[in-house]
Amino acid sequence: MDPIVYVSLGAALAAGLAGAASAFGVGVAGAAAAGVVAEDEKNFKNALILEGLPMTQSIYGLITLFLILLSAGIIGGGFKFTANTPDNIVKSAILFGAGLTVGLTGLSAIPQGIIASAGIGAVAKNPKTFTQGIIFAAMAETMAIFGLVGALIMIATGVGL
Amino acid sequence: MELGTLSGILNTTLAVVFTWVAYKTGSYIYKYTPYSYPNARINAMEAKLLSEQRFNELAESRTLQNFVVNLEDTEYRDYLAGVSNYIIEEVERALDRALAGSYELMFKMLPKRSRDFFRLLLEEWDVRNIASVVKAKMAGEPASDYVVELGPMLPKVKAMAEAKTMEEILVVLEGTPYEEPYQKLLLGELDVSAFETELYRIYYGKLMEYAASRAADERKIIEEFLRMKIDKLNILTALRAKAAGMKAEEIRHLLIEGGSLNLEPVLHVDDLSMAIAELDSTKYGPVLREVREEVERDLSVLEKALDRHIITRMNELVRFYPLSIATPISYALKKEAEVRKLKAIAKLIEDGARPEVIKGIVGEEV
Repeated sequence: MDPIVYVSLGAALAAGLAGAASAFGVGVAGAAAAGVVAEDEKNFKNALILEGLPMTQSIYGLITLFLILLSAGIIGGGFKFTANTPDNIVKSAILFGAGLTVGLTGLSAIPQGIIASAGIGAVAKNPKTFTQGIIFAAMAETMAIFGLVGALIMIATGVGL
Repeated sequence: MELGTLSGILNTTLAVVFTWVAYKTGSYIYKYTPYSYPNARINAMEAKLLSEQRFNELAESRTLQNFVVNLEDTEYRDYLAGVSNYIIEEVERALDRALAGSYELMFKMLPKRSRDFFRLLLEEWDVRNIASVVKAKMAGEPASDYVVELGPMLPKVKAMAEAKTMEEILVVLEGTPYEEPYQKLLLGELDVSAFETELYRIYYGKLMEYAASRAADERKIIEEFLRMKIDKLNILTALRAKAAGMKAEEIRHLLIEGGSLNLEPVLHVDDLSMAIAELDSTKYGPVLREVREEVERDLSVLEKALDRHIITRMNELVRFYPLSIATPISYALKKEAEVRKLKAIAKLIEDGARPEVIKGIVGEEV
């Protein structure tokens, strides 16, 4: 594959996979939020906060997309890896890997949505479990943060901004 | 390494990774997301179940009118709105309708793959109603007094209760799975208890068949729930039979297949206390030990203890599988227990029992 394909795929996967996963996660938690609010409107505030947790992965995806495009020169100048040389292939593959890392770890938004959904149900039953519900859901976030940190290291050390 | 080889390795790795991720993500989404809305809503509904304090307040009602008024700020309000004469039958019917309403709501909310299970669960009311109507008819009592307004076959059950002869009931049951055992009952091939067992056998047979058609966690949860229910029925049948001095051969055909207990040793002991001692080494031993003192005098104490055990176990399963069918099952059991308690309070108020007596009796209920 040409370097442009790797770079584009990396950027697309970072934002696309993480965004789609966030959409699923928010969808699952949103369905649960609708369920508890249908029974009692007082559940709205707690449900809304828990529902929003899986959205962060899509932000990490977007940040990575910008960094990849910036690093490859697509944003702010001309594309740096036009020649099909081994060095360019390796650099564009690194950018692709960075995007893929964020995209795949961004899939943690789906289980996070499931945890948030169970948490919304638990909070509706016993409002005292709200903080614990947030902590449990936030645990799934860790993987996405690891992915983002890994991607930043790959881009900064492998290609440079 | 050549560029072509490098690209080939990368592309193959990508294809494998993406296939695996897509499969895993898909199965994860399929398994959990359909329960997201219903289970969260059911959890919110569970928060509205009446507390012990509320039951104590209701026990203080003294008249059925006050009892109905005290329930006005609860989920029962809409169902009790039609109560005007404040007689026990009217209140009981309203509470039954409320329970039916809960089942109906769950039926609407649950994912398609679980709906059939709830439809089948509701059939237990058909079995109870059919058995009650037949027993009442045979005893020459007004059968409609024993009909609980629940179950998919309710119109047929009502027609059975209004039937003038036992043969008319056969016409009503025609085409249902319960026709054959009823025919046998009319021909004298079965007595009433064997007929009732046969009804439960058909009912649990259908449920076990359904459970076998499910996969993974869902199958595990449903099977465990059904086995506990069958065990409860079999334990109570075996102990009641032992209390009545029946022999092993007579009891054996009254037991339902599908439970997790081997009751054979219980069937061969001489009396009730030995039968209870025999059950001590089974998984229901701890449940029995809790009520050991009273069980020999009153087996209904054990029935309540087993019901409590089933609810406790289902609660454990809810904690393990929050987005599964365990949550609606657990809620249905709790709602049934609540309605049972309310009916008991209403009946005791009607009978003129003092609030302290009502609290004492109802406190022992599940």
